[in-house]
Amino acid sequence: MTRFGITASCALLTAGLIHPVLATESQQDRSLAPVPTFLEEATAAGIDHTYDGAWEFFVGGGTAIFDCNGDRRPDLFIAGGKNQARLYRNESPTGGALKFVPVDSGIGEKQAGKVLGAYPLDINNDDLLDLVVLRLGENLLLEGKGDCKFELANRPLGFDGGREWTTAFSATYEPDLDFPTLAFGNYVDRSAPGSPWGTCHDNFLFRPVATEEGGVAYPEATRLSPGYCTLSILFTDWNRSGEPALRVSNDRHYYRGGEEQLWAVPPGRPPRPYRKSDGWQHLKIWGMGIASIDLDVDGFPEYALTSMGDTKLQKLDDESDETVPIYQDIAFDLGVTAHRPYAGEDLKPSTGWHSEFQDVNNDGLWDLFIAKGNVEAMPDFAAYDPDNLLLGQWSGKFTEAGGAAGIGSDRRGRGAGLADFNSDGLLDLIVVNRAAPVSLFRNLGAGTAGGPKPLGNWLAIDVRQPGDKNTRAVGAKISVKTGNRTVVKDIQVGAGHASGQMGFVHFGLGVAERANVRIKWPDGDWSHGYRVFANGHVIIERGAEKARLWYPE
Amino acid sequence: MKQHLGRAVLALTLGLPLVAQFPISALADPDLPPWSEKALQQDVDIEALAASGQDPIPVLQPLGEHLFSAKFTSLDGAGRPDATGAIVPTKVRRKSHLTFQRLAGLDANACASCHNEPVAGGAGSFTANVFVSEGFESADFDTIDPQFSNERNTNAIQGAGLIELLAREMTSDLRKQRKEVLAEARKSGQPAKAQLETKGVSFGSLTAYPDGTLDVSGLDGIDDDLTLRPFSQKGVFSSLRQFTVNAMNAHHGIQASERFDSKWTGTDDFDADGYSAEMTPGQISALVAWQATLPAPTRKQDLPEVWQQAADEGERRFAEIGCASCHVPALPLDSLVFHDPGPFDTAGTLRQSEMDTPLALDLATLDWVKALPRDDQGRVLVPLFGDLKRHKIADAANDTFGNELLAQRFVARDVFITAELWGIGSTAPYGHRGDLTTLNEVILAHGGAAGESRKAYDALSEKDRQSVIAFLRSLEIAQ
Repeated sequence: MTRFGITASCALLTAGLIHPVLATESQQDRSLAPVPTFLEEATAAGIDHTYDGAWEFFVGGGTAIFDCNGDRRPDLFIAGGKNQARLYRNESPTGGALKFVPVDSGIGEKQAGKVLGAYPLDINNDDLLDLVVLRLGENLLLEGKGDCKFELANRPLGFDGGREWTTAFSATYEPDLDFPTLAFGNYVDRSAPGSPWGTCHDNFLFRPVATEEGGVAYPEATRLSPGYCTLSILFTDWNRSGEPALRVSNDRHYYRGGEEQLWAVPPGRPPRPYRKSDGWQHLKIWGMGIASIDLDVDGFPEYALTSMGDTKLQKLDDESDETVPIYQDIAFDLGVTAHRPYAGEDLKPSTGWHSEFQDVNNDGLWDLFIAKGNVEAMPDFAAYDPDNLLLGQWSGKFTEAGGAAGIGSDRRGRGAGLADFNSDGLLDLIVVNRAAPVSLFRNLGAGTAGGPKPLGNWLAIDVRQPGDKNTRAVGAKISVKTGNRTVVKDIQVGAGHASGQMGFVHFGLGVAERANVRIKWPDGDWSHGYRVFANGHVIIERGAEKARLWYPE
Repeated sequence: MKQHLGRAVLALTLGLPLVAQFPISALADPDLPPWSEKALQQDVDIEALAASGQDPIPVLQPLGEHLFSAKFTSLDGAGRPDATGAIVPTKVRRKSHLTFQRLAGLDANACASCHNEPVAGGAGSFTANVFVSEGFESADFDTIDPQFSNERNTNAIQGAGLIELLAREMTSDLRKQRKEVLAEARKSGQPAKAQLETKGVSFGSLTAYPDGTLDVSGLDGIDDDLTLRPFSQKGVFSSLRQFTVNAMNAHHGIQASERFDSKWTGTDDFDADGYSAEMTPGQISALVAWQATLPAPTRKQDLPEVWQQAADEGERRFAEIGCASCHVPALPLDSLVFHDPGPFDTAGTLRQSEMDTPLALDLATLDWVKALPRDDQGRVLVPLFGDLKRHKIADAANDTFGNELLAQRFVARDVFITAELWGIGSTAPYGHRGDLTTLNEVILAHGGAAGESRKAYDALSEKDRQSVIAFLRSLEIAQ
């Protein structure tokens, strides 16, 4: 047996163990935050699906991520464009390889065609998630019946799905209304003279009307005019007023005289756009996808807006009155412009689509995913345009890690979503590509395909209002406190690029092994603090003294 | 761990001629003069040690012993001008002009400066009390007002390796029961309820539902995640490793890389004292190994007959009046292999997933473990006089133990884990604040769940009460 003393006399090596900190070379391009490893396994997982089609399907290509069969695992509805949209049931074993099985959703072939995107929500308050399907032509409200079956509910809901080219959706629960208000963003009006240039379609707002039977109908659309060829919309409480406004991101490629928009939607009154006189500043981008998160937890969300060229990151101007929607762009300062491909020789500007703030490495810092891809064959924009994974750093900035993480594939990304498909606490990634198979990445954390390994601690939170309207608490804010640090996330329906999700909300906790969770319910009431331990799924029901836990099989 | 792999290669390359039979070596800094005031001079590559197949105990124990008693200096990175003592890396709001400060810390520069009665690793007197909080951000303004901290006496660590092994087995057992009740509910389509019990200790109930959800409101004495956390007066730390990482920062201002490095904080010098990577996983492992292999307390030998008779009688009385229902004389332990890192640590404390193979310290090789009794199934009976469960221990009539105002890590102010009584004869003063000078006083201070036993003790004759004291005084930490 070798036994060594603790004096330096037996030291054999020159390695200095403890040393003063020295200046190091620039670490600008290296993520100090851990970089997760993603493994693409769509085919092995049983997903063989392509979003494709003519010019109308250059945009769209969304996916809805939600539990359609009540097992609390996220299932997938994927748009197909000229191909049929498909529904996949999640059968991924916990912590294992991803596995999905195509299932018959119950909707007809015609309705499953020409689909651009979809968003899940509970329209009729029956606690079964319904699906809003965006189409080239009639949009669909599909009523969830359980067991991944759906019934077309346009007629029962008095909803005219229209004939527009619909590319965006968001929903909110307005005060004193028992059912959600639905907003649809439309793209080019192809029937207008001179189309497509300058012929953007108006967007629509449908407010719920209670029926005599206690149900809901959406008989009438309010036009949000002018529309500027919208590709992403989001109801968001931008000014902490408790009254969400509708943020609209528009594609300057087709509009004339247009801009990014913010619509006030005062309860019981017609929506009206914020104008220059309200402080709203003219901004023209090729707006493709909104992502929203309150990075500095000041109650005023920041907005990432994808575009062709540089991504914007808007923060309410510190210097201005917080009742006035004046934003400053902090994308450059924080390193999220992502304006050209981070890999390859092509230095042309890149084209951003879906964007989403999540914590992919569970370090407690928000990361930003951006799906990228040339519109089709636009020569002035990068052809090889890999998706971005901008990892949040403790400095407050972001560092690109898409290549290192393994998601930099040569496909034209469109819609996407990050969700924990195998319930292992690591967010996986689905990217719907144009004219190429869907990419499905399993997050292996610090591990490899042979053995995933965890990164930071995490928490998955599902928030419910059982027996009440708005069962999924859309509009609620989840506040997670670890030590003296708080992060918040809103439960929203909308944003991204034609892609929505509903279910467990994921938080990275870093090295904290417990957290204090509070919910600001949609009506503004705060819950008491729920004390929960890391690395698990919790369900917080309004009024419950304790959170319930959920364990996957 | 990656940074240490490089070091291992260096060890093999440079050290080979002299340590041919031993691929693991202390990794020392040869540039330091023999009079160096640095305490941290050696490291161990635990990845290589685990892979070598060599018994890690004799490799780690000496370094751990040295580190436990070492007086850390600023040359080691002691001090944390920019960091609080909080468990989650937290920056101070205002820097303190004091390096040492009894409340916000640093409050010690050696582990053994508090854990020293009757030997290193032991308990501490009232003078060695610490102030527990989630971190003082403004030491200048935070006060000893109990709304900001709880004052705690220093616990003895002897036998802690066995305690952690018991806790790990109990955690595994309880989680197995959770899995079973969830499976039952899923299979039957009906809610299912399970009464949780492990090693004869009840932890309340769980109700599972067919959708995989779980109502944990019936749990008793354990955290909702069913991780049995046996350490600290409160029972809120799951492992020696986790506690050591916490303590190194809180008490000494030395940040372990596994929690404070750039991966989790964005900097290798979180406390901004000019020193990075202040304590390696290998050094933490050495500290853990030394603590985990500290001999468990025993009973006094060669007692005078009068004391022995009284102690025997007292042990019977102790059981009769119900003390032994929580201060359980012994719990059976199946496995004596102490894996480091352990199976239930989470990010911020080195996890098994972060090593190719965890270290395996076989405590069965230690003489003092060989001397422990075994049951008819061959299991070691760990004579801890505890149940590793938390109880409410104060009530309106007996509120001595309800003297704290702050809940700690989700555990209410008047709830504490049952103190293990092995060694209590060596660890006066008593109580979680160390402010009760006699065993009689501390017994009578019990309330809450121990109220009936306290009454029964109080109702005993003076002779019988003295016998209980005689028994407790016979439980000692050997010197």
